[in-house]
Amino acid sequence: MTSPGDAAPVKPPPSFSPGVPRVASKTRYPSQRRDSTASLESEPAEPRIGTSPTPPLSRTTFELPLRTASPHGRPARSSTPQAGRSSLGSPIDGRADAALETRSLIIRSFSPVIGVYASADTDELVRQKGFKDGFWELIRPFGENVPGKLVIRDSIGSSRGWEDYGVRFVDLKESCQPPEGPNQGRNSSLAQVEGVLEKELDSPDTPLSGSLHPKDLLGLSTTSPLYKLYLRQLLSIATASPHETFRHPVASVVATSSRNPAPLESLRQLYADTNNGSRRVSEWIHPEYLRYYVLVHDEDRDDISESTKLYDQMKRHFGLHCHLLRLRSNQCVVTDDDSVQVPECEWLSPSERLLGRAEPLVDLDSDGLLYLFESDVMAIKSFVRELVAQSVIPFMENKVAVWNDRVASRRRGISGRFMSMSRKWAGFGSSSRSSFTGAGGGASGNYNVAHGFYDYDNDEALLRKMADYAFMLRDWKLSGSTYELLRSDYANDKAWKHHAGAYEMCAVSLLLNPLGMGTKTKLENIDQMFETACYSYLTRCSDAPNTLRCLTLAVELLKTRGGSAAESAAKWAMRAMDLGLVESIGQGLFSERISACYASRAPVNGVRWGSRRRKAGMWSLFAADMWLRLGKPALASACLEEAERLYADVIGSDGVFPMPEMQTLVDNLRLSVKVGYLEARGLDVREETGSTDPLDNEETSEKLDRRMNRRSLIMNPLETGSLALPPVQPARDGDNRENDDFERA
Amino acid sequence: MSYYFTILSPTDAPLFNIAFGTSKSGGDGIARFRFPEASQNTYMTQFIINSSLDMLEEAQWMNGNMYLKHIDTYPPAAAYISAFLTPSGTRFVLLHQPPQPNIPASATTSGAAGSMSMSLSASTSSSSTGGGLFGGSGSSGRTSSSSIAANPTAPQTEEAVRQFMSEVYEGYVKTVMSPFYRRGMEIKSPVFRGKVSAAGRKWL
Repeated sequence: MTSPGDAAPVKPPPSFSPGVPRVASKTRYPSQRRDSTASLESEPAEPRIGTSPTPPLSRTTFELPLRTASPHGRPARSSTPQAGRSSLGSPIDGRADAALETRSLIIRSFSPVIGVYASADTDELVRQKGFKDGFWELIRPFGENVPGKLVIRDSIGSSRGWEDYGVRFVDLKESCQPPEGPNQGRNSSLAQVEGVLEKELDSPDTPLSGSLHPKDLLGLSTTSPLYKLYLRQLLSIATASPHETFRHPVASVVATSSRNPAPLESLRQLYADTNNGSRRVSEWIHPEYLRYYVLVHDEDRDDISESTKLYDQMKRHFGLHCHLLRLRSNQCVVTDDDSVQVPECEWLSPSERLLGRAEPLVDLDSDGLLYLFESDVMAIKSFVRELVAQSVIPFMENKVAVWNDRVASRRRGISGRFMSMSRKWAGFGSSSRSSFTGAGGGASGNYNVAHGFYDYDNDEALLRKMADYAFMLRDWKLSGSTYELLRSDYANDKAWKHHAGAYEMCAVSLLLNPLGMGTKTKLENIDQMFETACYSYLTRCSDAPNTLRCLTLAVELLKTRGGSAAESAAKWAMRAMDLGLVESIGQGLFSERISACYASRAPVNGVRWGSRRRKAGMWSLFAADMWLRLGKPALASACLEEAERLYADVIGSDGVFPMPEMQTLVDNLRLSVKVGYLEARGLDVREETGSTDPLDNEETSEKLDRRMNRRSLIMNPLETGSLALPPVQPARDGDNRENDDFERA
Repeated sequence: MSYYFTILSPTDAPLFNIAFGTSKSGGDGIARFRFPEASQNTYMTQFIINSSLDMLEEAQWMNGNMYLKHIDTYPPAAAYISAFLTPSGTRFVLLHQPPQPNIPASATTSGAAGSMSMSLSASTSSSSTGGGLFGGSGSSGRTSSSSIAANPTAPQTEEAVRQFMSEVYEGYVKTVMSPFYRRGMEIKSPVFRGKVSAAGRKWL
């Protein structure tokens, strides 16, 4: 790997160009993606010429001699052919598509973290625009989807383009706070997740409660949006902690503004703060992260020529990692011509979501949403793109290469194995270092037992950081093998949380690596790793959120593998429920998930056996029961329907279960769902419940049948434009679902 | 150790049910399932057995033997399923549940499961229970250290279940050959029931 900093990006050799089109992935995120892809299409040509009244803002920044890649190179880059690895599974059916979506969600949750530290005058400028938290809040939503394709080179030098890359902007303060105690803050974070779900379910304006299950006629269930929310929340719990470096800043944006009387001085001051001042990171975070200097130019009040001059000076002083960001300082309101709504952050932590989501509900009409000028949006987007594509990713690639060279290869070689073996058995390999902990049984002595971390410059910490970087660069092969190296080290040192993390991420890397499709033995290995990780997290460290994260990752990734892996996914989901990690709403979601895992197991070709329809149906029924108990008849009814569908193949054509008590249970569930609906509508239910049993059976099964009919009915008339259907509907079906269908169509 | 034994017709209809407990090491031969309301209704066992038919169908075609051994596990309740296949396609399914869930953290389990008790809400007004869906209540701490009870997948258990199955099979063949029995009928013969429970006492 060459030094990535100064060279123009190298196109991959033609041998890596089977040219798998990634077009399919664009359509996967219809809601969030549409704007970014659209703007991406138009970005190189139109906005540069059209939108800004002043000389094109990107001119100054993009004409750096050494950074030629950006404007002109971009079309070439985005059409870069990519390695054939990208085709995981067949994107033919809906199931694979949903699986890829979950997979992408998981991958994106592990994106690099970039700290933001702005001078007071910059924050002041941004606050004028309506962003309370200053510069950080302004750029945060734009980091989550870096527009355009990013090309990342892996450790063996092959390049791969990614459409869905993102970074996480955090306030640098957060990384500087000491980690919370292992228990008090973290256990409640699961409760917070539950709280978010509850809020989401209760809020009337979200479509979740109604159209939870988009009806797919293929008979393959997709992921419900509620579960996706749950997953996203679960993956955004993590804060910076010693045992993994995903939340440690990879880079930091240091920003000053043109209002500052002495911008260069202020940048120096800010840099000093991050180095040894108030924004110094904790001692277990590697302090040598990338600093990226940004000069925010106030378009409305300040003179651009001054700023350009200043920017040239900055480049001379601070090198290449600089950017001139031109923003207007006036607040944008919705009535302005070129106002663009600020996108919502996808990756809010549970606590933020609990705090934040209240506002738009309160003043629904005078929307508390923020708007930006389109020119500002374009400026920020190109800033983020340049930051990530030309500074952060090359920096990470470089670091991975260096550490791989210096630390990992030393460890991987035969002598390295000997070293670690000798350390284990004889204690002479590193006896000098192992003196101060007493070196019980081959511990390296680098582990700080009292505080539970490795110093950032120890081999173990560097390796972990390298593996995490490789993971975030999506080079799962390298990260997997590095985690594997680390596992035994951590075990020797009894660094249990590190140990659990290494096992967890090792298994996740193996599962994400599209080349290592699972054979039976591999799956057993992976199961074993998750088992160890779980045990270390939960029993040794009593860290429930991380255990749940680990189990959920296991479930989701194994499920995307399909086949017998899907069954072990279901097993892990049951384990998570068993360990008492999920609360009531989570229980319902997990039951649905187990059902989906079993349902995704397709029968053997040509024969009727080999599927897991009965198991899937059973868990769907359980889920229905749980939703019912939580007072969510709409969700329960969806599960019940799902169960009907799943059982349809395996029970007789009359729809009656062969076992009498099962039939009773199902009948009771149906009746309860109906009663729940009626109660939700405030109707009197007594005479319904008073009716005799066989009548109930008849009625309810008829009801379910009719529901199917109704759905098809409601679609057709709407297509032909007659809107008179809803009043025709009998009153006993819930109105939620109906209305949602109605509005959606 | 509690057992639930079912004979299923090829069309999955139950022909014969019996629940019994272990008689080894001082057991009184009464089933104590750790499902809610296990005494009143047996839907959990039926669900578990029905869901294990997925595995049974697979094992049926992948395996040449009549005794299919342990085919499925239902982890939340630590229920194990063994199966036996007769030549006519009738299935013998035995669900066995060890006295204590042999999963760790049983304390948290019961807490979690307690919130999930299967309520058959409004319609059955008799929902006075607090038992968990996946168990957690009612297992009288009879820690019998017999190898069968302690270790449901051990070779000894497999062997014991095999003996039990073949003995039941013998009785089943005789019952089915009765001139008053037609295929697909429920087996009501008290003699057969007696034979099954005797076999259960003897082997399990």
